[in-house]
Amino acid sequence: MILVVGLSHRTSPLAVRESLAFSREVLADALRRMRDEAGVPEAMILSTCNRVELYGRGQQVEAAGRRLEEFLCGFHRRPLEEVAPYLYRLAGPDAVRHAFRVAASLESMVIGEPQILGQVKEAYQAAEQAGTLGSALNALRNRSLAAAKRARAETGIGQNAVSVSYVAVELARKIFGELRDKNVLLVGAGKMSELAARHLVRSGARASVLGGRTFERAEELAAALGGRAAPFESLRSELAAADIVISGTGAPGIVIRREDVEHVRSARRGRYLRPLFLIDIAVPRDIDPAAGKLEGVFLYDLDDLRSVAEANLRERQKEAAAAEGLVEREVREFLEWQKSLDVVPLLVELRQRADEIRRRELDRARRRLGPLSAEQEAALEAATTAIVNKLLHSPTVQLKEIARNGGAAEQVAFIRKLLGL
Amino acid sequence: MASHVYLLFTLALYAVGALHVLLQALTRRKLLTSWTVTATLAGFALHTASLSQRWTEAGHFPAVGLHDVSSFLAWAVVLVFLMTYTRTRVEALGLAVYPVAFALVLVSNMTPAAETDDPILKGLFLPIHATLAFFGYAALFVAFAMGLLYLIQERELKSRSPRRFYYIVPSLERCDSIGGRSVEVGFGFLTLAILTGMLWSHRARGVYWTGDAKEWTALIAWVLYVALILARHRSGWGGRRAALLGIAGFAAVVLTFVWVTVASGVASAAR
Repeated sequence: MILVVGLSHRTSPLAVRESLAFSREVLADALRRMRDEAGVPEAMILSTCNRVELYGRGQQVEAAGRRLEEFLCGFHRRPLEEVAPYLYRLAGPDAVRHAFRVAASLESMVIGEPQILGQVKEAYQAAEQAGTLGSALNALRNRSLAAAKRARAETGIGQNAVSVSYVAVELARKIFGELRDKNVLLVGAGKMSELAARHLVRSGARASVLGGRTFERAEELAAALGGRAAPFESLRSELAAADIVISGTGAPGIVIRREDVEHVRSARRGRYLRPLFLIDIAVPRDIDPAAGKLEGVFLYDLDDLRSVAEANLRERQKEAAAAEGLVEREVREFLEWQKSLDVVPLLVELRQRADEIRRRELDRARRRLGPLSAEQEAALEAATTAIVNKLLHSPTVQLKEIARNGGAAEQVAFIRKLLGL
Repeated sequence: MASHVYLLFTLALYAVGALHVLLQALTRRKLLTSWTVTATLAGFALHTASLSQRWTEAGHFPAVGLHDVSSFLAWAVVLVFLMTYTRTRVEALGLAVYPVAFALVLVSNMTPAAETDDPILKGLFLPIHATLAFFGYAALFVAFAMGLLYLIQERELKSRSPRRFYYIVPSLERCDSIGGRSVEVGFGFLTLAILTGMLWSHRARGVYWTGDAKEWTALIAWVLYVALILARHRSGWGGRRAALLGIAGFAAVVLTFVWVTVASGVASAAR
């Protein structure tokens, strides 16, 4: 049975999660200690900034869960009583469902965020390398990651940017379609402009940076973006070549006036009506709001970008319902499959079947032999029972062994076929 | 009356597409699912069967009278839509195409077929002229729809607080380039249709130009499209103005079309 013990952004403050996190360096050691100290044959640890979770396999849920909790606190030298209120413990179907939902980022702080899938993948990889991954957790890995990918591909949970810099890129795509060979002009070299410009350059846009008082900073940034730097005086000529302008200077007043934009757009007839996307991420604002009224000019300030991000998040939440349904179906399929691995019903069936055959053959023999004495009757009974038991001994032991190792569906299916069950 | 039966099934299948697209637009963002596309393809197959059956029944190319014309036009619109969709995957186009295809087939279903055996309809001119014209109309309709989508998306972007259409409608650039391409294709067909129409008129009546209102509207639409295409190529006109001109050009085309089908019922050369 699969077990999960852990804490997340829903159950605990950041400080508690930090104190219980596993860094990359200690992970391999921690996995092996978890397996040995908590006595679970399989172990996996998922440690991100939003959750710390121990995944294991064990028979006695209560005892194994307790040992996992003790290991978590023991490893970090924290008293269990202090941490216990933040912990949750899940077993069996609940644990499976949780693993699927985490991978599909349905449990994430921002639904649909893409990092979690990579983090889950890495966690399984670490367990594999540490040698603590067995067939049960491995099956969970394959199915939950596949389900997460399906949820992303078939529903909109991963769609639409929810951070300001990605919103800028998404809007640029809505205006220009392809961003390849589009010219991005950075006015001022702030952190946020750089982030948005990086996304744009990665999509194939070319960058140029207008320097202000500190031209070196502009040159540095231009080099980092694979573009070129220009002095602030060439604003109009740079503006004329630009498709996208990101302005984020610390200037107290307007830097790009409506006249500048108007001038540029009437100066070059050939590109007169091509759209121009102005992004103003400065506070106070750099670009005259009136410039946004010009035909073909789209002006977004920081507040606008934020409100788009919020609208996008609402869209995602709508999509989450569809993703929930999809993941739930995948979970049920997995649980069904897990059940087929269970050898107990197979063993019961096998024994019943054998006993049925024994009785039938015994009855036929009695009819032919005629009346028997009590001793003869007992001997016949004992002999046939012994035959059945001896024949079934080895298969029973082997099946139990398969079950202990997590089992393999093909093996169980093959045995069923072999025995005609 | 087999063509009627086919047409009724076609109507039902296009209705599935129309309803589905509108429902999807209200609830989710993936407008076309494999169900919609399958229903449309099945509808289109039946539609083709209906037209071919009708050709046999009527004894002439099924492009005479409101019944035939609306059915044939719907067929051309769906075909051009399917071709555009396979090339560009623009689903939002379905928002315009499905209701229109449904409405046209509905009109066709509700009007009686015109029975005429005018000898002028026998030759090759009717099939050639009508096919060219209908494909032209269909392509120009796509250009019109892309122009509308452009204006809608531009409004969404200008408003700075995107709502539903922001997510559904493709980028401005895409609306513009697909619209521009459709105008060129539609214009080509329209030109050929006008030329064959003139030849047909000459063959039937001895004159290329009779000067009736329908010919004038066709000419005005044609000039509008010439202006639009020239503006685009010569001075980089695109975007909003191209979208508006595309819409205006199509309005002129619709005017021509309504004139022909409602006022006369038969192509001008046949009168």
